[in-house]
Amino acid sequence: MGCAASLPDRNSGALNGLSSSENAAPADAKNLRVKLVLLGDSGVGKSCIVLRFVRGQFDATSKVTVGASFLSQTIALQDSTTVKFEIWDTAGQERYSALAPLYYRGAGVAVIVYDITSPESFKKAQYWVKELQKHGSPDIVMVLVGNKADLHERREVPTEDGMELAEKNGMFFIETSAKTADNINQLFEEIGKRLPRPAPSS
Amino acid sequence: MMTSDLSSSPSSSGTEFADPNPSTDPETNSERVQSQLESMNLSEPSEVSDGSHTDYSGGDDDDENAGAVEVALSNGNEGGVSNGCVAGTSVEEEIEGGEASSRAEYPVEMEAGEEPPSPTSSGYDGERGSSGGATSTYKADDASEDEIREANVDGDTASQHEAAWLPGKRHVDEDDASISWRKRKKHFFILSNSGKPIYSRYGDEHKLAGFSATLQAIISFVENGGDRVNLVKAGKHQVVFLVKGPIYLVCISCTDETYEYLRGQLDLLYGQMILILTKSIDRCFEKNAKFDMTPLLGGTEAVFSSLVHSFSWNPATFLHAYTCLPLPFGSRQATGTVLQDVCASGVLFALVMCRHKVVSLAGAQKASLHPDDLLLLSNFVMSSESFRTSESFSPICLPRYNPQAFLHAYVHFFDDDTYVMLLTTRSDAFYHLKDCRIRIEAVLLKSNVLSSIQRSIAEGGMRVEDLPIDRLLRQKPNQGQAGHESPRDVSVGTGGPFGLWHFMYRSIYLDQYISSEFSPPVTSHRQQKSLYRAYQKLYASMHENGLGPHKTQYRRDENYTLLCWVTPDFELYAAFDPLADKAMAIKICNQVCQRVKDVENEVFLQGASPFSW
Repeated sequence: MGCAASLPDRNSGALNGLSSSENAAPADAKNLRVKLVLLGDSGVGKSCIVLRFVRGQFDATSKVTVGASFLSQTIALQDSTTVKFEIWDTAGQERYSALAPLYYRGAGVAVIVYDITSPESFKKAQYWVKELQKHGSPDIVMVLVGNKADLHERREVPTEDGMELAEKNGMFFIETSAKTADNINQLFEEIGKRLPRPAPSS
Repeated sequence: MMTSDLSSSPSSSGTEFADPNPSTDPETNSERVQSQLESMNLSEPSEVSDGSHTDYSGGDDDDENAGAVEVALSNGNEGGVSNGCVAGTSVEEEIEGGEASSRAEYPVEMEAGEEPPSPTSSGYDGERGSSGGATSTYKADDASEDEIREANVDGDTASQHEAAWLPGKRHVDEDDASISWRKRKKHFFILSNSGKPIYSRYGDEHKLAGFSATLQAIISFVENGGDRVNLVKAGKHQVVFLVKGPIYLVCISCTDETYEYLRGQLDLLYGQMILILTKSIDRCFEKNAKFDMTPLLGGTEAVFSSLVHSFSWNPATFLHAYTCLPLPFGSRQATGTVLQDVCASGVLFALVMCRHKVVSLAGAQKASLHPDDLLLLSNFVMSSESFRTSESFSPICLPRYNPQAFLHAYVHFFDDDTYVMLLTTRSDAFYHLKDCRIRIEAVLLKSNVLSSIQRSIAEGGMRVEDLPIDRLLRQKPNQGQAGHESPRDVSVGTGGPFGLWHFMYRSIYLDQYISSEFSPPVTSHRQQKSLYRAYQKLYASMHENGLGPHKTQYRRDENYTLLCWVTPDFELYAAFDPLADKAMAIKICNQVCQRVKDVENEVFLQGASPFSW
């Protein structure tokens, strides 16, 4: 957290940050667009989840994210609405945590990821939940994801703990595996379903 | 690989550079440090350079083959070490050229079997700090075996291409008790002024707490005497210190590089750290002297190891200039025009790069980009894999531009080699920068710049073989451009005309250099590295303080004939066959300069000196 002091004031100041420049083309009820931010400890697999979702790829070699990566992906839901996700995949490294507001400000969805084999990452997830409740926008859709579900023999965070944390904070909870692609699409579909729809008249 | 009996004498190890005290608190161990320093003869004034280091004689002796000298400040066996090295020089040369040749930057000339089986025989018994001495015996042996296997792998791959070098930290299982660790030719350490380790090139920082505390003690011991330690020489080893506020940087090296260059390397290492964190980390130490900085650098090992690797292959690290990818003038101009447009829209710096070379760059009015910042920036981007996956937006600090504040960098790779970097002070500018990138990409595609770049990569840069020779110098004139196909009756040996092997031309007012491709006989990584080291010495001797500016230098040894020519406009460094004729060499240098001027529109970025916007 030592880096917090090193940020120029303007970072934490008033910015509606990285909200889309394409606001000019407003989403309608059938075509939603949402800014989604992934948060969580380093090494929990945030980038892997995104790359699995966006490109269908999985790369086991760990590539430490620097700052934040931006990707987008559109999905069609069963009720024929499409949802365009503009995804900010943030770096989990400690030095970037002070920058997180830059990425989660204005986000409609926050996906908080932990690694089911790492209790420490679960603690970090709890930190992010609190942080977003304090500083995130009030109507943000929060999702809790326990990743690396394929490593169940090394599990250290029981599913119940994840469910409990999610329930207490009104979050949607799911366990995923970016490696096997388990529940990845379900995760984003579920988010799409939960998005607030604009009133049909507007 | 059979060299360690010649070069090191572990059994004779006397006073080792051992942890004086398990505690990292400088106050409590000062007395023991005092005795430690005395035992290392550190208190002898002649051993502590005051910065003038006039006693430094490394510029001339060419015994590059220091080989396996223990990386330990073992003054006690200094005699033994140097004797071993002198005796071993010629043998080692052959061996290095054979088996151990062409390894990348981390050669360890050692053989597990040659070593005493336990580190306790070299003075470490019971003196270790907080790093769990009980496990060190078997660990050291393990590490040695690992090392030899890995060294062979490196040897196979590193000679192919620099790209074969894989970034990332190696040998994390080592610590200062590992024999392999102590035998590494070049160590880098970053520590805090309370002795806490921040970065170590080899080994686990946390296990090196005791060693860091010792380094800290040396620095503060000298500082307490109202002085500053810059350089300690111990046999073949140089220990170079650099103090940057609460951050200490130390290099321990037996690579026979100049003090100036080693210090420059520490400077760059510090700059790289600032690029990642800004100088405001100093405040963390003001608040808490025992602040542990390692978590803040999490995940950056590859950035540092890649920078350290570049010290042995990238001339930009000692020329303090950048180099451009050779390109048709029109391609570079088209790129430059759109970058300037982008800068006019509120972007501070806009760069299109190909690997470590510049395609074009532009800056906002009055903003200047220092070549060292450019080096650190490209190293950061090239060594961080995640930039290649998707477009990124990341805080970055340019230490020479403003070490206190973050800029925000938009990075996007067009292909495997070519990328754009847009830097801004505005943290909310991502979508604007993304739009700028789309504009830039459109121009690059429309003007076929990306394909010119790929062609340039495939063709390579200037070659000494292709130098057109003045007809007067030729006995049989033939077509200049077809150089390496035509018979060269007047040439000596391989390479370019008249024994020219390689050259580097640095334009002073452009802050750029152009370097020829390596040609036979300078083909292996080891030979290239050794040529760069010769250039570094030449550079240092031409830029030494107090001796006034030299204009030319001609130097011949058994490896090369080196010629350096410094004018107010440019510096030329050229390497010839050791048997090259001096008068001819001078003529060839004139030809090289002429040739560079002829193609300057293709090899330099004109009118965009980082200092002269």
